[in-house]
Amino acid sequence: MVNNTLLSLITFSPLLVIVVLMFTPKQMVGTIKTIGVLGTLLPLIMSLMLFAGFDYSAGLQFIERRDWIKIPIGLDQNGSLTFFPIRYEMGIDGASMPLLLLTAIIGTLAAVGSWQMKRRLREYFILYHLLLIGMFGVFSAQNLFLFFLFFELTLIPVYFLLGIWGYAERERAANKFLLYNGIGSAILLLAFIAIFVQLQTVNFGELQQVLTNPDDPLSGYLSPEYRYGLFVALFIAFGIKLPIFPFHSWMLNVHVQAPPPVVMIHSAILLKMGAYGLLRIGINFFPDQAYEFSVWLAVFGLINIFYGAVLATVQKDLKMVLAYSSISHMGMVLLGFAAMNSIGFQGAIFQLVSHGLISALLFFIVGVIWDRTGTSTITELGGIAKSMPFISGVFLAGALASLGLPGMSGFISEFLALMGLFGAMPLHAAIGAIGLIFTTIYVLRAVLRAVYGPTPSRLTRLADAQPMEAIPLVVLLGVIILIGIYPAVLSDPLQKTLDSIVPVVTGIGG
Amino acid sequence: MDTILHYAWLIPLFPLFAFIVLVSFGRQLRGGASSVGILAAALSCVLALVIGWQSYQGAASEKVLVEWMNIRDTVIRVGYEINSLNAMMLVIISVVSLLVQIYSKEYMRDDERVPVYYQYLSLFAFSMMALVLSPNLLQLYIFWELVGVCSFLLIGYHFSKPKAMLAAKKAFIVTRIGDVGLLIAIILLFWWTGSFEYSEIFKTVALGKMEPWMTTLTAVLIFVGAVGKSGQFPLHTWLPDAMEGPTPVSALIHAATMVAAGVYLVAATYPLFLDSQTALDIVAYTGGFTAIFAALIGLTQTDIKRVLAYSTISQLGYMMLALGVAGAIGYTAGVFHLFTHAFFKALLFLAAGSVIHAVHTQDLFQMGGLLKKMPVTGIAFLIGCLAIAGIPPFSGYWSKEEIISAVYSAQRADLLWIAVITVFLTSFYMFRLFFLTFTGKAVSQAISRAKDPSAVMRIPLLVLAVLAVLSGFLNMPFAPLLENWQLAGDVGESIHFAMPEAAELHAPWLSVVSVLVSLAGIVLAYLIYVKKAIAATWIARPLPWLYRLSNRAFYLDEIYRYGLAVPLRGIGMLLDLFDHYLIGGLVQLAVKLANGLGGLHARLQSGQMQTYGLIVLLGIVLLLIGITTQGGVSFGQ
Repeated sequence: MVNNTLLSLITFSPLLVIVVLMFTPKQMVGTIKTIGVLGTLLPLIMSLMLFAGFDYSAGLQFIERRDWIKIPIGLDQNGSLTFFPIRYEMGIDGASMPLLLLTAIIGTLAAVGSWQMKRRLREYFILYHLLLIGMFGVFSAQNLFLFFLFFELTLIPVYFLLGIWGYAERERAANKFLLYNGIGSAILLLAFIAIFVQLQTVNFGELQQVLTNPDDPLSGYLSPEYRYGLFVALFIAFGIKLPIFPFHSWMLNVHVQAPPPVVMIHSAILLKMGAYGLLRIGINFFPDQAYEFSVWLAVFGLINIFYGAVLATVQKDLKMVLAYSSISHMGMVLLGFAAMNSIGFQGAIFQLVSHGLISALLFFIVGVIWDRTGTSTITELGGIAKSMPFISGVFLAGALASLGLPGMSGFISEFLALMGLFGAMPLHAAIGAIGLIFTTIYVLRAVLRAVYGPTPSRLTRLADAQPMEAIPLVVLLGVIILIGIYPAVLSDPLQKTLDSIVPVVTGIGG
Repeated sequence: MDTILHYAWLIPLFPLFAFIVLVSFGRQLRGGASSVGILAAALSCVLALVIGWQSYQGAASEKVLVEWMNIRDTVIRVGYEINSLNAMMLVIISVVSLLVQIYSKEYMRDDERVPVYYQYLSLFAFSMMALVLSPNLLQLYIFWELVGVCSFLLIGYHFSKPKAMLAAKKAFIVTRIGDVGLLIAIILLFWWTGSFEYSEIFKTVALGKMEPWMTTLTAVLIFVGAVGKSGQFPLHTWLPDAMEGPTPVSALIHAATMVAAGVYLVAATYPLFLDSQTALDIVAYTGGFTAIFAALIGLTQTDIKRVLAYSTISQLGYMMLALGVAGAIGYTAGVFHLFTHAFFKALLFLAAGSVIHAVHTQDLFQMGGLLKKMPVTGIAFLIGCLAIAGIPPFSGYWSKEEIISAVYSAQRADLLWIAVITVFLTSFYMFRLFFLTFTGKAVSQAISRAKDPSAVMRIPLLVLAVLAVLSGFLNMPFAPLLENWQLAGDVGESIHFAMPEAAELHAPWLSVVSVLVSLAGIVLAYLIYVKKAIAATWIARPLPWLYRLSNRAFYLDEIYRYGLAVPLRGIGMLLDLFDHYLIGGLVQLAVKLANGLGGLHARLQSGQMQTYGLIVLLGIVLLLIGITTQGGVSFGQ
């Protein structure tokens, strides 16, 4: 049955594209682009099939389980080698499915956005598809080993995509990216090892079973202090990715220096891996400790919201505004987690998807504006709505989505995250709500100044969207509005998964 | 009787449909765009009038809900509800919306972005109608924000003008401050009552299940939302600037409908306010203060639209004042004034629009003598002025009379003084406006060439003029039709329940006094601006600071700029340095350290990849060590 292999097919279908590209002569630029873009349709179509076949009444599904590596770990009584089997385990549930689908959608749209790329296209698209494998894998992996492998796999292509195809200071940005993420990975790895050596399993389901069930014989292996330490380590490791203040500066450089399609992917998907990991591994495995830590989650969330928002109001470069805006919006995810209730978790996951769509849309447009004007500095722009009414209109719509306008996805996510937190920490939540005002200030300042107002003479003749540009814009905006008007499309598949996380959490919450 | 109330949901759908058509085919339609918008507005207007009539006849309220979203056990529903209050609102919105759209056909004729204009107007009409039809607070909030965005888009319609853009931005941000209050209130109410539905919330309140402090807190937070939307002090500063939008927009959004949404909100959640005297007092005093405060500013403005804007703020203050003093009469008076104000203020704005259209200036001192050139416009404007000044038998007389009577019945002397003084100020600045614009000598060529607009603009003016005269007869002390209509439902019951002893104190002398006070204002304006018997500067000269205070709107904009905006920017700059040098600097240090350790240069192909490789390798070694040492022991079993 297809269901037994669909996740693997999605995850590794970019490999096919990579192989084809390797055998395509690099002079055939048009062919390479076509293969590179059309190739992303494979995982997209399969992800849509997966979405269509997703069973709302079930939790984990599309499960794959195969023996993979056997590691010799010692001798048994008879003197023969014992092995620890590391299995290839994939599967998906309500929390990861939306993110997988998001990855597929953004994967295709950012590939379309790569149409403008000029240099070394073959390498570019090979790395691009390698990145896709890593992202799909992270959201499908069902054990720590596989998760870590895919998590690391995303770093390498981003490093090169950023370092080779980026803007002026690309190398510095790439190095900084690697340094931070390397440290994050090291911490993550140590935490994983610490979990593994105590519990002798890496499977997510088994780990959750052991860790959240006090009657389990293995459960006693981890003292509450040990667990707390692990949770904090995971929080830092994933926090670097998210990013949380003060580990965010690498991400600013990536946003400014990477080529637009890579920024789309980075901001829309890669940052989300941090939040996903925090939920899937951190909160899911250590609910008691997460609950204990939840005030800190809220505090870090608030710092992110306000720090990002205040800094976004004084930036000169649109890209920097969007980068700080991402920091601010990720703060809302932390608030949703801090709520430790189903509404908050739902808000957090909505925010991951919503911000993914919105930031991809906005970065795409900034790329187009750069393409036309050669700048993304706010003060050098202005009045481009005259000659680019379509792009400008979509930009404004995206900006309104970003500041949480009802009828679009951003509102639902922020509303749910705040609503969840009000149930747990009303004061923190009220402060978080005030952040919405700051968001309005920086979003409107940047977009209105860049797009409206008087038109300088050098910006009077800019071409509006080409068909290749219009497609991603319309699709992204369409999905943003769809989720805003009909949130059940995202919330219904989530319910069963929330059931599996929340009872555990609220069980101790009382 | 088979009631047409079942079809109430169609009312907002006509303009929504027009919006979708205009977004999809606007460019192809060009001139036809206005027809699409007008047709849709006409259809909803007819339906709204029928439904309004049925509701007035006593058709039962109706509510329809469907599931929207589930969060485990929590079901969030959407739908619509029709009751006497929102039936009345629908009539106001659809009538004014239709008239404004017809008027705009001529007013915006030379604009190249007419399809966009009608897109926005249709979206606004849809959102505003859907707002009042909402059966729960969450849905209300959704449309509350959408009308705000439409307002933002239309204020900034002439986006090349920096002033328009800044005004649009300001409107959005300032109203958002209020919106956050409302949002918090909605969420708090949800956690206390388990629902967003009005009826459920009121039930919880009626059963006394809410802590009194929570009732007060949520009511006040809801009112904060209303303060932002309805331009109440201290969040009123966006409304005068919003006059940058096209004048028909000011008539529809910033006079008749959207700015009244705050008043509507307080009325719609009235049972909550009735449970908290503190909240009611805050409403009453904020309203009263805003009424007199805005009137004082209106005295010295020189832009025709800004005078009207401050008068709108002031009149909205009256409505809040009425709601705040409560009682059956206070509630009715507030809602009634909303009703009459919508028509006479829309009339004033559209008449002002005709003037601006003809003379291409908004400066009062560039006008004069227009009554002869534009008699229809002039008389329409005069009717509006008489109505707002509260001269019988014009509509404003009846509603304002009721407000003053409500304040008197509540025995609030301080508020009564404020209300009566504001009557004087209002009639003075409105007639100052009228005299400066329409009487005296023409001061420019544009004026001598000015003439009344064509029928397309005249007809809406005439209809509104008739309404500005007649709409007051709906609720006269001896024939309280509107009161009977509006208090027929649950709200009436909860008011009688909350304050059973509150009776109306009839004081015919009070009515005489307030009319005399109003006439005094008119006479004073006449003496100054027509007879010139009193110098216009008789206060300004000896007390220039007083004049400046009024003219500069008590420097509130400056206070906000230097008290909030500039410090925020300063903090932002400081944080930017902090972020760049300290946080970013730490990284530099770390990079240097890492490079130093490896003894390698920060080169793409060599250095960093190796460092990274080392980390991964180290990790894998650790992993293996972990597996073999720890795992080996317990895997023997």
